[in-house]
Amino acid sequence: MKVLIIGAGFSGLFTAYELLRNGVNDVVVIDAEYPGSGGSLRNVGCFRSSFTSTEHVVLMKRSIEKWLKLRETLGLELEMTGYLWIARRPETMDLFNMIMRFHRQHGVLTRALTPLEAGEIQPGLNTKIIEGAMFDPTAGRMPVIDNFVKLYTYLRRNGVKILPYTRALRLVKNGNEVISVETERGVLNADIFVVTAGGRGTREILSTIDISIPIIDQPRHPLITEPYAKCIKPALIVDWDTKGAPYLTQTEHGGIILARDIEEQAEVSNISHRIDVFKNTLKPLVELLPFLKYVNISRYWIGYYEMTPDHHPIYGPVEPFENLYIATGFSGHGLMMAPVTGEILANWILRGRPNIDIAKNLGINRFRENKLIKEMAIVG
Amino acid sequence: MDGEKMIGPVLICRCNDITLNDLIKAIEMGIDSFELLRKYLKLGFGPCQGRGCLMIAARIFAKRTGKSVGEVLSSYKVRPPIIPVPAKYFLVGGD
Repeated sequence: MKVLIIGAGFSGLFTAYELLRNGVNDVVVIDAEYPGSGGSLRNVGCFRSSFTSTEHVVLMKRSIEKWLKLRETLGLELEMTGYLWIARRPETMDLFNMIMRFHRQHGVLTRALTPLEAGEIQPGLNTKIIEGAMFDPTAGRMPVIDNFVKLYTYLRRNGVKILPYTRALRLVKNGNEVISVETERGVLNADIFVVTAGGRGTREILSTIDISIPIIDQPRHPLITEPYAKCIKPALIVDWDTKGAPYLTQTEHGGIILARDIEEQAEVSNISHRIDVFKNTLKPLVELLPFLKYVNISRYWIGYYEMTPDHHPIYGPVEPFENLYIATGFSGHGLMMAPVTGEILANWILRGRPNIDIAKNLGINRFRENKLIKEMAIVG
Repeated sequence: MDGEKMIGPVLICRCNDITLNDLIKAIEMGIDSFELLRKYLKLGFGPCQGRGCLMIAARIFAKRTGKSVGEVLSSYKVRPPIIPVPAKYFLVGGD
């Protein structure tokens, strides 16, 4: 069986990894640019299972289990230092309590903190302006690029063919089958086709066989400081009550990443930097952590969230085609879900169904059938 | 000057202390795209924004992979600000 995967990011590579583990050796992965050039190397490297939909919680718990196992199998690195969600308003603590009841029903052990307890977790936190916090100790962060390179070089050593700078232009169909993909560098044939090319990429390639998916790429604008000694203790700190939920995380290298969701025109400004990002991101975060006014901002890059209408991914086969599968629309959670994405797709391809039943709720048909999934929190 | 003939540790990036040996090892590990290699070695991540390391690394990578330097650098984008800027300058105004 020959499998062709379009998109050499974390989702595509973990799909190749799981196929390989199941004895499928003939796997080719292509990418429009360099490997990881989409969201994979632009995100801030954090993961959690403390979501507010059953689908997300179940899948993310499984994904975190798999990330932990990958420490031994591939030598990947991650740390579980937790997410700290800050409440500035008293009523937000009521909301947190409601969310935490949902988490506990699903075995996710988030807990409420007083301002002083939050200040113990993050020294320097301005506890005078906050009402409390929600803490998820099972969430964490990872050195994204190092982990990507470990996965990438492992797959290459084990015979997976990865072709960068090979943009897919068009899928070619024959009845209910996809028979080949036309790329910038020639035609590639396979038995099974998988598209994990991010939001816009997947949407555009599927449009060549008249399949439409409701996804738009929403630009995001993270800043990073010069490297400093470890000073941000949790994996991620989120300012819940400020519009655009500003957040920060510190990389293993020492740079503090600062970000905030700002009003943007989807897909219009994916490559244009905005000067207002600096002040609008820094201001609320300096209020919470006054020492941040002394840091130097060294770089600013643009990534994007590939958003679906219900902020959940689209998984699985693409009807009416018998040999076409997709995984896209992660809405900001593609990295953390990638190991479970690979496992689910490999099971769908090899056994005709996902290994986790609830993944069926995330099929492409849910938009047509109006069975959208509800989610309350899309940050990090 | 041919950097590969020099003896002892040769620094190619003074922001993050990356040596010529680190670069060669990364290429030999199987990183075959310059942009991935650059990110892996954090070239251009420091305060100099790649002004010191980038051409050196691109030239060596091009030579070892049989590509042109232009091709090797085709995906590289300059990120603002040009030099590190203290956060305090951005604390006036905002929404």
